[in-house]
Amino acid sequence: MMFSIAIRNMLRQRRRSLLTATAIMFGTGLLTIGIAWQQGVLQGMLGKAAAMAGHVRIVTADFAKKEQLFPIAENIADTGPVVKAVAELPGVRGVYPRLQLPATMTVGEDIGEVFGLVTGAPLEFYTEVLDLDRNIAQGRMMADDKEAVIGLTLAEELGAKLGDEVIALGQTQDGSISPIKVTIVGLYDMGGGNVNKMAYVTLEKARWMADIPDGATEVVVFCADRDDAEAVAAAAGALPATAGLEVKAWSQREPWAGMLQLQNTIQTIIVLVIVIISSLVVLNTMMMSVLERTAEIGVMRAMGLRRWQTLSLFVTEALVIASVGGLGGAVIGAAGGLYLQKTGINVGSAVDKLPAAFPIATTVYADFELEQLFWSLVLGFVMAVVGSLLPALRASAIQPVEAMRSRR
Amino acid sequence: MRSLLRSLVLVLTLVLPGLAHAVTVDELLGMLDKNLTYDTRESTMVMTVTKGDRVKTYKMHSYGRGSTEGVVEYMEGRDKGTKMYRKDQELWMYLPSVERVQKISGHMLRQGMMGSDMSYEDMMEASSWKARYSGVVEGEESFNGVKVWRVKLTAKSADVSYPTRVVLVDQVTYIPLRQELYATSGMLLKTWEMSDVRVIEGKNVAMKMVVEDKLQAGSRTELKFEAMDFSVAVPEEIFSVRWLERN
Repeated sequence: MMFSIAIRNMLRQRRRSLLTATAIMFGTGLLTIGIAWQQGVLQGMLGKAAAMAGHVRIVTADFAKKEQLFPIAENIADTGPVVKAVAELPGVRGVYPRLQLPATMTVGEDIGEVFGLVTGAPLEFYTEVLDLDRNIAQGRMMADDKEAVIGLTLAEELGAKLGDEVIALGQTQDGSISPIKVTIVGLYDMGGGNVNKMAYVTLEKARWMADIPDGATEVVVFCADRDDAEAVAAAAGALPATAGLEVKAWSQREPWAGMLQLQNTIQTIIVLVIVIISSLVVLNTMMMSVLERTAEIGVMRAMGLRRWQTLSLFVTEALVIASVGGLGGAVIGAAGGLYLQKTGINVGSAVDKLPAAFPIATTVYADFELEQLFWSLVLGFVMAVVGSLLPALRASAIQPVEAMRSRR
Repeated sequence: MRSLLRSLVLVLTLVLPGLAHAVTVDELLGMLDKNLTYDTRESTMVMTVTKGDRVKTYKMHSYGRGSTEGVVEYMEGRDKGTKMYRKDQELWMYLPSVERVQKISGHMLRQGMMGSDMSYEDMMEASSWKARYSGVVEGEESFNGVKVWRVKLTAKSADVSYPTRVVLVDQVTYIPLRQELYATSGMLLKTWEMSDVRVIEGKNVAMKMVVEDKLQAGSRTELKFEAMDFSVAVPEEIFSVRWLERN
């Protein structure tokens, strides 16, 4: 009965009900798109960062302390036993030694002042983890120590093209100047920005450059499921082969640990802002409805309608409107989320200036999931309840005599 | 008579240090420049770089001409064949692994030469004290049993690597036995000690230097000259970028 009265009341003031439903529709729609977008930015960044930094990373404690300075001297002298032991752990998909060496890059005779990061890793790392082979924009993958694949942004800064010889002037672990000469056989594009500023060479070439014949500055571990990283890190850290080394999952390392906290805070703020704004619209329209129907409420109360029944009458009315609005919002949210997931948004070259720890591609895609839609619908109902509660309380407090005296 | 003697001792005590003090900074810097300048020089040296537990040794052969030109060739190990040519404030390096001459400029000049505690800039600013610094003689003291002047030097221009140096100069050989190199903030950046002073062809020469970068714990570089010759006729062609690529 309460439900049918609520439907009837909703249809009596169609324009107002439509306004309330529209507010909830936009609220839930925006919420779905906003959360999908924010998830997309974070997941995109995490995906790239995890591919670049590893789900779990094993380094020396001194390397971890000074890693911003790329302390090559703080390396794992022999990565063989570490790689072998960690690879046998359950849930581990791949284990790779890797070196990242800062260098001054030069193409041609002119002396350049272009800084790049020379990365050396096994070829399987590039193909199975980084998908470098699938992101080659021009040319091909490197085949031996004399070849390199570099990013489009780095190539542009260097004025380099396929077939050019590039000299990377870096240092050995002892600090001696150490140059390597490689031919550019491929230019990759992993979405622009600072992601495209690397120079990828073979592990052997980077080892020669750093003068670390059997070691690397880090060992990166990839799990079958990224969410298992912390469990794998704990298991790897307990191995005798990693004694004295720092073993951490990506989610335990900065800036990601902080980023995850920040993401939760931002998501909460987005949700709160949209819920509050939508609830205010609901409150406004429902309050108008209560004021208009004061006399009617008075009559109903005089006929025996109890306070809680009055309250639930208005809340049910709001929930019915929220269902209609929420459904519309779900359609808008799903359509918007799926569209942004497919086409993405070009955020421009501003991301080029971000530090390498934030590998954001120039085009950012949303990450839409049905779960987000469900929670948006739930929040739509929350908006309706929050927005209708005050008017409903007011309505339930109306005394029949006073209401009828008001002649409304 | 006794009181006269006492007065004489007192006067000598007060005056003699003053007489020794009478040396001016300009004279001292002139003597330092004279010691470090030569027509030609050929030397063989061994540089030992210690970074904590890690020790690396480099053997080098060098030629010099005046105070503005020098050539160094690395003779052994991974860096064998690496050559450096310095002329005035410019530095070129031949890198045999890529068969290329590279000019060392900008931030790289401030890096340690082959990972040592001596930067390329240190090597380029090793002489011409008088042109780069002014200062005061703060007094006399003893350093490792040798009487030295304590001199505080201040750079004349902002482009000098170390704005302030405190130098202990041997009163006999005019060799800067110890230097403390400070940043503008007053932070001690490096210490530089010279020892094993010998007279070679009438010139006082420190055959051993120890440099410590105070910003890197456990970092120490020892440079020992095994042979030094000031009378050698160095071929003109050696002092050129083109020579770096030869051989």
